Amino acid sequence: MSARLVLLLVACAAASPAAAQSRPPAASAGERPLRRIEFDVGGGLTSGGRLGGGDANLRANAPARQAFRLFAAESEFAPAPAVHARTAFAFSRRFTVEGGAELSRPEIRTAITADAEGAAPVTSVERVDQYVFDASVLMMLDALRIGTRLVPFVAAGGGYVRQLHEGRTVIEHGQLYQAGGGVKYWLLARPGGFMRSAGLRGDVRLQLVRGGIALADGPRPHVAVSGSLFVGF
Amino acid sequence: MKAIALAAAAAVALAQPAQAYLQFTTTRAGESIVLKWPRSPVRWFAGDRAAPGVSAAEFQAAVARAFATWEAVPTASIAFQFVGPTGAEPFDDDGISVVGFQDEPGMDRVLGATGFLIDTVTGEIVEADIFLNSAIPWSTAPAGDPAAFDVESVALHEIGHFLGLGHSALGETEARPDGGRRVIASGSVMFPIAFGRGLIHDRELQPDDVAGVSDLYPDGNFRRQTGVARGRVTRGGTGVQGAHVIAFHQATGRVVAGFTLDRDGGFQIAGLAPGPHIIRVEPLDDADTESFFSRRTPVDIGFQVTFHTRLVVAPAGGEGDMFAVMVTPK
Repeated sequence: MSARLVLLLVACAAASPAAAQSRPPAASAGERPLRRIEFDVGGGLTSGGRLGGGDANLRANAPARQAFRLFAAESEFAPAPAVHARTAFAFSRRFTVEGGAELSRPEIRTAITADAEGAAPVTSVERVDQYVFDASVLMMLDALRIGTRLVPFVAAGGGYVRQLHEGRTVIEHGQLYQAGGGVKYWLLARPGGFMRSAGLRGDVRLQLVRGGIALADGPRPHVAVSGSLFVGF
Repeated sequence: MKAIALAAAAAVALAQPAQAYLQFTTTRAGESIVLKWPRSPVRWFAGDRAAPGVSAAEFQAAVARAFATWEAVPTASIAFQFVGPTGAEPFDDDGISVVGFQDEPGMDRVLGATGFLIDTVTGEIVEADIFLNSAIPWSTAPAGDPAAFDVESVALHEIGHFLGLGHSALGETEARPDGGRRVIASGSVMFPIAFGRGLIHDRELQPDDVAGVSDLYPDGNFRRQTGVARGRVTRGGTGVQGAHVIAFHQATGRVVAGFTLDRDGGFQIAGLAPGPHIIRVEPLDDADTESFFSRRTPVDIGFQVTFHTRLVVAPAGGEGDMFAVMVTPK
């Protein structure tokens, strides 16, 4: 059953022979090799996200139990550049699985306001080392191919988030779920040879992070944009 | 004269604070020695006097609940043993630790006090006595009595002294027309000024109290599970002594505080949850400075409340990096 499915998908991915024949053979997305291993390195930007708020409270001198706010604090992850490396395996023309690691160093920015004794508002910061180890499945959308070399794709996956607080003494763990899409632009695609493919790739992903550094319940959304260079063997 | 809720620690050995939370110390050959009980359980007796509205049995039960509250701190190893009622008076040097009422109408601002007999060589507490002033109206009503102070709440504070803890400055006050101070809010049972009549909030220990007693009597996991923030407070490059430093852990809402204890403005706050903390430095102006430090200690209160611009990470089982908070004059 699965073999039949794979064959069917391969057939779908190769169902544009006219376009393939009209492209230069060394850079045809339609001729990208099967069962290739690709390596991908690049960088991008991860959007910031709200972490949550929490007041520093004392107990008010009142009969009912009431909080007395000493000051208010609201924290967020600031946008940060990220670098990544991925390894991918195309088991059909349409589907690729990939796994990788991403490193970023976002700042946690905590806005402190409303001090009970009138202290000036400030923003306290901390830089975090964030590592994401993830795996995704990519589906190439050959039917939406643009020109001869540009193929859009959609992707979805999940991963593990490891965050080290400043000083690298406290580690937080979380999970990441992501979905998005992008395009791959082939500079080289050929069925044989040592380097069988090469190109550029752009990604946009919506990421939901659960756990890790968090001040509020529920997953926290981020948007990640990246670009990379890939080579296939 | 209306009684003000000043729960003073008449600690015979109160000299210089050693660490955050102001542990009581004595000085020997220039070295500070922390006062603490050498062994557990600590035996205590209840005075057999009653006070208007509170029988001796009710008093004993309320004080026993307060001892149990301290004993229940999971990260501290101290325990107590109630021996029985006694006709002995608090503050008699008789080798037994007594908690009881005494009629002190001349001390109309003092709810209670704690005194020690200590071994000045080792810092071991030999005897500690607590009195509650029966000239002030008291209650042991489960929900409090609006006309009286709560025995259990004040006993919980005094037992903190009994254990060797000094006062916490985690609170806000305002000046009263009669010259005293009224509590607006408090974040610690060990704050020197009690809540008003009828309030029972101080029957529950706060994170600052838990950190203090756990630092003094740590159980096996306390040091491993918590961290220490350490740093300096400076003004114009010079250390600020007697500054109050608050560490707020946003993820848990825990507020724990300490003081700068030397001329360099150095401080360390133990018992912090692992992770980042907001650091706030304030002058010690919400109570008489002698509630915290000896008269000889030059306490600087001439600076503005200041937040550190970095979040400070307390590691589990260790000390964070040193940092400095620079404050500016008022």
